[in-house]
Amino acid sequence: MKTVTIDPITRLEGHGKISIFLNDQGNVDNAYLQIPELRGFERFSEGRRAEDMPQITSRICGVCPVAHHFASTKTLDDAFNVEPPSTAKKLRELMYMGYIMYDHILHFYYLGGPDFVVGPDAPAPKRNILGVIEKAGVEIGKKVIKHRAYGQKITSILGGKATHPVCGLPGGISKGLDKEEVNNIKHMVKSSIDFAEFSLKLFDDIVLENKDYVDLIKSDPYQLDTYNMGLVDDNNKVNFYDGKIRVTDQKAKEYIKFDVKDYFKIIEERVEEWSYMKFPYLKDLGWKGLTDGKESGIYRVGPLGRLNAADGMATPKAEKEYKRMFETLGGKPVNSTLAFHWARLIELLYATERAEELINDPEITSKKIRNPVGEPDEGFGVVEAARGTLIHHYKLTKKGLIEKANLIVATTNNAGAITMSVRDAAKGVITNGKINDGILNKVEMAFRAYDPCFACATHTLPGGMQLQIDIYNNRKEKIKTFNQG
Amino acid sequence: MKESKKKTIILGIGNPILSDDGVGIHVIEELKKKKFDIPGITVDSAFTGGMNLLDMIVDHDRAILVDAIKRNDKKPGDVGVYPIGEVSAFHTTNPHDLSLPQAIDMAKRLGEKRIPKDIRIVGINLGELPTEFGENLSPEILNSIPKAVKAVEKEIKKDG
Repeated sequence: MKTVTIDPITRLEGHGKISIFLNDQGNVDNAYLQIPELRGFERFSEGRRAEDMPQITSRICGVCPVAHHFASTKTLDDAFNVEPPSTAKKLRELMYMGYIMYDHILHFYYLGGPDFVVGPDAPAPKRNILGVIEKAGVEIGKKVIKHRAYGQKITSILGGKATHPVCGLPGGISKGLDKEEVNNIKHMVKSSIDFAEFSLKLFDDIVLENKDYVDLIKSDPYQLDTYNMGLVDDNNKVNFYDGKIRVTDQKAKEYIKFDVKDYFKIIEERVEEWSYMKFPYLKDLGWKGLTDGKESGIYRVGPLGRLNAADGMATPKAEKEYKRMFETLGGKPVNSTLAFHWARLIELLYATERAEELINDPEITSKKIRNPVGEPDEGFGVVEAARGTLIHHYKLTKKGLIEKANLIVATTNNAGAITMSVRDAAKGVITNGKINDGILNKVEMAFRAYDPCFACATHTLPGGMQLQIDIYNNRKEKIKTFNQG
Repeated sequence: MKESKKKTIILGIGNPILSDDGVGIHVIEELKKKKFDIPGITVDSAFTGGMNLLDMIVDHDRAILVDAIKRNDKKPGDVGVYPIGEVSAFHTTNPHDLSLPQAIDMAKRLGEKRIPKDIRIVGINLGELPTEFGENLSPEILNSIPKAVKAVEKEIKKDG
């Protein structure tokens, strides 16, 4: 048996590794994704002051600090039995929209999009933002950089610090907005709506007008028929900041809708000996292995998971685009992993429209932004990180210290689906032992679509980590381990 | 102290809750304790990727980045000064974001004129890479902090 290893997966946080097992004919027997792990975050947090958690958890990962910050702050609201004033909730959500804006722009233009804009078979050094600028032009490049910065700026105006927010407090938020800041944000949001629409148009022109790309999106190796999960509002529309967690089935019908307080009744985590990552699944359906379909409890989160799990978008332009995507790709649910990119752009448009609603809300400048906290006990919090559902759960002592903490992060929720997508893509694109850069990139595309962030999925160190390569025989026995620096 | 001729930012990068990974931040804290206060020089720290780092260093003549590095030809705790691009510092090469050299390339391509002409990395070589969250540094990395502080001061003195 010959083993091909793609290593590291370029352009992603942490050093993931894909191991592909070929049979004697040169076709793929199986492929696995393995991630090294950093341990001990839960233990690290024990005994710390609960109100420090929004700052501490935002340092788990340099990529989505805002998501952890607010998952944590909401957990503290619950743990201290306090409901924030409505202005505080709106300010938090507005800041959250800034985060979704810059994160989704970063992914589409810098990380995932180059595969389409420059082309999946283009040489690796061209499949990046520089290649995008070369192909699409300097003016588009300028727009990209400007609007990513706008998203970042909105979070820093509200968050108090450019890279790591310090504003979330149990029962509210530390800082309100003044008129000048409101006007500044209004200007940025207005321009960002246009940019989001422009991005969807670009996706139309470059991807949907290209038959090869549409065929690729619709092709079998990129389909996965799992359950879908996402946070929804009272009308079952996508919501990033608040709501109930909804799971829909293979026919897009509601399987269950639950409050985050019940997450441990609904979700179970599976440990596999070959992976450091845990694999969450729907408890009642049980673990059926890495397989999709109605009997398997594996589900997907993130942009496509959210759009599939909801009944629509709560803003008009995004709602129109939502309908168009499902009409174009053959109805709900859409199972194509590569459609994550399209879903991400629809969410970008939603985030800009929602930000506009919030910044125009007369209540946004109210000074009532914090309520007094109650007695500490146990708390649960959930937000939709850019990459999917993110759950925090703390038990507090009577003195308000952390007794126990548990986190289920977005990429962990997608662990089963990502692993299957990588395996299926490898099986689909590698035949008769023919392997080249373009073919391996098509395997990576299945992975990249999820925008996975292994820094927090397994608490992986950004930028460097020892790699372990495990080789298994056809009886799933580990026959060799390599350690590489 | 007299004003620096070059508008400078000294930026410690790292994860402060990931033991040795955060050494760059510890160096900056040590520098601040020494009341390193020169007009024209900003001292700051960050835990983020290339695009945000670029935002932080633009509008300066010079940037000195203090970060963990991993070189097999060096001992744990060794400190070196390198031009950007010569070493892969931990946090200038975050693969989820652009690396700092890529971000700089992109910005130049788009006509950005405010990029520092002089960008150097004060790199502290790590031994075992951290696998567990914690705030304590391993002994050889802890011992390297004064060396790294001196290296930063030397860089500043050298060019004023």
